Amino acid sequence: MLIVVDPSSGVPVFRQVMDQVRFHIASGLLAAGDELPPTRTLSAELGVNPMTISKAYNLLERDGVLERRPGRPLVVKALSAGELDSERLDQLRANLADGVRVAKQLGVRPDEAVEVFRDLLENDDKDD
Amino acid sequence: MDILALNDIHRSFEPGVPVLGGVDLAVEAGEVVGLLGRNGAGKTTLIHIAMGMLQQQRGTVEVFGLDPHREPVEVKRRIGFVSENQNLPAFLKVYELIDLHRNLFPSWDDDMARRLAERFHIRPNARIKALSKGQARQVALLCALCHKPELLLLDEPAGGLDALARREFLETSIQALSDTGTTIVFSSHYLSDVERLAGRVVMLHDSKVLIDNSIDELHESFSIALVPHRPQGTSDALLALPECLGVRVRSDAVHAVFRLDPDDACALISEKLGVTNALCRTAGLEEMFIEIAGGER
Repeated sequence: MLIVVDPSSGVPVFRQVMDQVRFHIASGLLAAGDELPPTRTLSAELGVNPMTISKAYNLLERDGVLERRPGRPLVVKALSAGELDSERLDQLRANLADGVRVAKQLGVRPDEAVEVFRDLLENDDKDD
Repeated sequence: MDILALNDIHRSFEPGVPVLGGVDLAVEAGEVVGLLGRNGAGKTTLIHIAMGMLQQQRGTVEVFGLDPHREPVEVKRRIGFVSENQNLPAFLKVYELIDLHRNLFPSWDDDMARRLAERFHIRPNARIKALSKGQARQVALLCALCHKPELLLLDEPAGGLDALARREFLETSIQALSDTGTTIVFSSHYLSDVERLAGRVVMLHDSKVLIDNSIDELHESFSIALVPHRPQGTSDALLALPECLGVRVRSDAVHAVFRLDPDDACALISEKLGVTNALCRTAGLEEMFIEIAGGER
């Protein structure tokens, strides 16, 4: 699975794992029913404490993102189209938080900031 | 029951200069504790006291509920130990060292020893003295793991190893952790290794335990505040706050470590010092360590 962790980033490793699983679900890389690697496999591959992985998995299960069935691998839960949409927007919102903070620190007005965002989106399309 | 219980441990090597001056540490089964501290902070002393290799001058030690000094054989049978400064018998061959351990430990697992030797690409016929530093450490880890210890004590186990050897050492320890639920106490100057492996971090400073928190708490409920210099007294005013762990005066600002999340730290600084332009943020272990170890309190 496409999960990488940077232990020195100051963000707890369990949160990094949770964020990336949610991102992959929102982006469609992980679909309903897809299996997640067992705790011990992922912890060995990432070189992190297995408790950290099980903490991330448990919280994702509590949040209704993953589903555990007895004796079977943990899988991605089926989300409705509406839930997927809001998951995607949640991801975007979380990733924009830094930009919002910077805009405030620089005293950029909301309409200017929106204009910058629109501009970046459109120019990115042209590059593709 | 605690696997390891250190109670009010005192130890000095020179009169009046305590290395450990009243240290308490209780470790439960399955915990992974990272020991931090500057060189000379007492990490090795603490591990040696837990092993029964050194006796404390005051306080009590229990490992598996036993006194390691009174029942050294029973305690050592259930402990695995690797240290940066461990001297393996240089003239033995690898298989002879393994035979020695098999005879010492009734719980020795030959299959596991074979698997690890293969994984590490260690030739059983190699002489210990011919091994590289990394390979010698891997042999030490093999000897420490294959009797399935309930407690693994690692004293700077990755010291002097290259990045890949460190990662392999870490992965092997992690596997032991998942397979048998071994309790681990390890000291390391590689703070990213601590962030990967430790569930709990204990920092020794000035002969005492300064920090004892889960790694997640350290990442989320501790912060570093950068407070612009006021005409005077900024660092004293910060140090007077009970939540402040230490300050470091830099050219443009005072850096202060708080036992608070960034929002609460900024709110406190604004309330108590009237400074509203402090920058507060969470930080990785390395930065936190430098701010605390290099600061005053």
